[in-house]
Amino acid sequence: MQREAKKLKVGIFDFTDCEGCQVKLVSLRERLLALLERVEIVNWRLGQEKNRMDRFDLVLIEGCPITQDEIDLLKLLRERSTHLIGFGTCATMGGIPAIMDQKERAKWYNKIYGPQYKPRGIDSLPLTSYVKVDFLIHGCPVDENEIVRVMEELLSGKKPAYRGYSVCFQCKLAGNPCRLINGKPCLGPVTQGGCGAICVSGGSPCYGCFGIRDTAQIEGLLDILKGMADKEEIERYFTMFLRYTKEYNEIVRPFMERENG
Amino acid sequence: MAKRISESLITKIEGHGSLHVDWEGRKAKLHVVEGERLFEGILVGRTAEEVHWITPRICGVCPIAHNLASVKAVEDALGIIPNPTTVLLRRLMMTGQMIQSHVLHLFFLALPDYIGLDRATELAEKDPKAFGRALRLKEVSDEIAFCIAGRNVHPTTTTIGGFHKIPDKSSLQRLLRMLEKTSPDASWTARLFTSLPYPELDADLELLSLKGDGYSIYDGDTISSSRNDDTSVKGYKEAIEEEVREYSTAKFGSYRKREIMVGALARIAINGKGLGQKARKFAKSLDLNNPFHNNLAQAIEILHFHEEAIMLIEKLIEEGMDGTVVRPSINPPLKGIGAVEAPRGGLYHEVHLREDGKVTYANIITPTVQNLTSIEKSSQTLLDSNPAASKEELKRLMEMLVRAYDPCLTCSVH
Ligand code: SF4
Ligand code: SF4
Ligand code: SF4
Repeated sequence: MQREAKKLKVGIFDFTDCEGCQVKLVSLRERLLALLERVEIVNWRLGQEKNRMDRFDLVLIEGCPITQDEIDLLKLLRERSTHLIGFGTCATMGGIPAIMDQKERAKWYNKIYGPQYKPRGIDSLPLTSYVKVDFLIHGCPVDENEIVRVMEELLSGKKPAYRGYSVCFQCKLAGNPCRLINGKPCLGPVTQGGCGAICVSGGSPCYGCFGIRDTAQIEGLLDILKGMADKEEIERYFTMFLRYTKEYNEIVRPFMERENG
Repeated sequence: MAKRISESLITKIEGHGSLHVDWEGRKAKLHVVEGERLFEGILVGRTAEEVHWITPRICGVCPIAHNLASVKAVEDALGIIPNPTTVLLRRLMMTGQMIQSHVLHLFFLALPDYIGLDRATELAEKDPKAFGRALRLKEVSDEIAFCIAGRNVHPTTTTIGGFHKIPDKSSLQRLLRMLEKTSPDASWTARLFTSLPYPELDADLELLSLKGDGYSIYDGDTISSSRNDDTSVKGYKEAIEEEVREYSTAKFGSYRKREIMVGALARIAINGKGLGQKARKFAKSLDLNNPFHNNLAQAIEILHFHEEAIMLIEKLIEEGMDGTVVRPSINPPLKGIGAVEAPRGGLYHEVHLREDGKVTYANIITPTVQNLTSIEKSSQTLLDSNPAASKEELKRLMEMLVRAYDPCLTCSVH
């Protein structure tokens, strides 16, 4: 009974997004049940009827805080939680919604909804643009094994670590022929591993949804990409998920501008 | 001042919305508050090959449907007719998609209402055997998606004209064995949902679904109504109108200016003759004017698509597979439409391309947009036909009703 009392209080929240990362959570099936036994889910709109807004030991946030209500809730959750975790690329880097910046948004509101419409959305930025975030579980969608790994570490009171290796490392283990060698762009070399190179294994490129890894050689990759893709294409690869990363702004953008000049 | 029954968000549905009721005037409104992502704008300037990578991110519950609607739209624009293997594999992906989505909705979101639980995981304690069956169906449908689409959420293997990668025979055989083992679970699901006490409601529904040969969800080319008013898919934009309302970030759809319901119940109403042997038996108990029966229709579809998956795999193994990717034709029209039946109903993608393959225009109409008008209308009927019920009881029933439509507000605001 004593252990019961010590169960971590967890909240799972979702802002604007596709909810695919929560679908991944449910896809854990038996492993999800095992995790749930060790915590108390105090708030999960998608999963349960009775929800409370008290203090949380751990809050998982999926999605991009686009509306003012979402931004306000994010700030409130930060105040009320000990650990606040970004869950999926929409939360950790802005994800697919962040392909469009604020200026573009204004134009498209008009085209899609007409001039009378009062937009609710403000901008599509990652959680870190508004509050301090304790750990980022990247992925569009997140990977089942990564969820379990990070949750295990958090539940045992450890600070979770980011993966030190790249997608390429897992791609080679999977036995895929390298796209770059065949003249096809790929962001695997600069991307944090953990997904098992699943997109490349399926025949698609890696667009970097697991985030830029530590000590990534971005210039090196840009030099290789330059040989097989034009500036616009390189830009399209990096803006699929990585537009709001420090590396995009400090390295990729200036590189493109130099290429232009 | 209108008093709201529920300023809080409706739980256990995909996306963010709340039901607002003016008790004095007895009027119900559905407010959708999901943020706008503006996908139709995001796509412009991207390449044809990126469209089906981006659109699945509209919805993580039905990503395969979005992925294939996009692929079909682009193939239509490029004058591509994929080979028979590709079509069979895509139909197989769709069976997995339907079971994935329906299992999630029925067991995790809807069932707790009917058996007096707060959340599905309570079922795990109360009836672990039943919950185990639900999990097995989730697993087998996820495995279909992993095997054919490359991942259970957001496909990686599909491309314009075919597949980057097709599965080998042994992985199909493995799927087949899993499906055979879970057959009893699919039948049990249909029986369970036939036995539930659905609230009575006569909502006088007009039901709308794509129609083709058999129970077609991948290649229906006619938009068919239960009121005998059909349209070719090519005319989707004129027939299905979207209206902007100030209280909602989702548009409200209608078919030739009438409220319509789309989804499992509508599919069975329109295509019921094409249901598989086992599923057909259960369809008799459906009340086509009661939206609560959409839950039962989804359970019947789980059984149908489970049977269909087995049939498709047997055919693929027997006929052998051709992994050729078909290239664009010469002088393609550069404008295309792709329509599929997503788990929640007809889904339409339209894409216009430039010669160099860049997108110049995109239009997407999701099933939930089409259902929103009907959800409001049925909620109103529920209010009107239960004058004596308490507010508490009405609130409970209305949330159940919204849930029965299985709305995906995430999809509706895209
Ligand atoms: S990160 Fe990707 S899968 Fe997860 S919610 Fe966002 S769009 Fe969906
Ligand atoms: S294909 Fe991409 S992820 Fe794989 S090894 Fe090559 S660069 Fe790395
Ligand atoms: S291969 Fe790249 S894009 Fe795909 S999941 Fe891994 S990190 Fe994300």
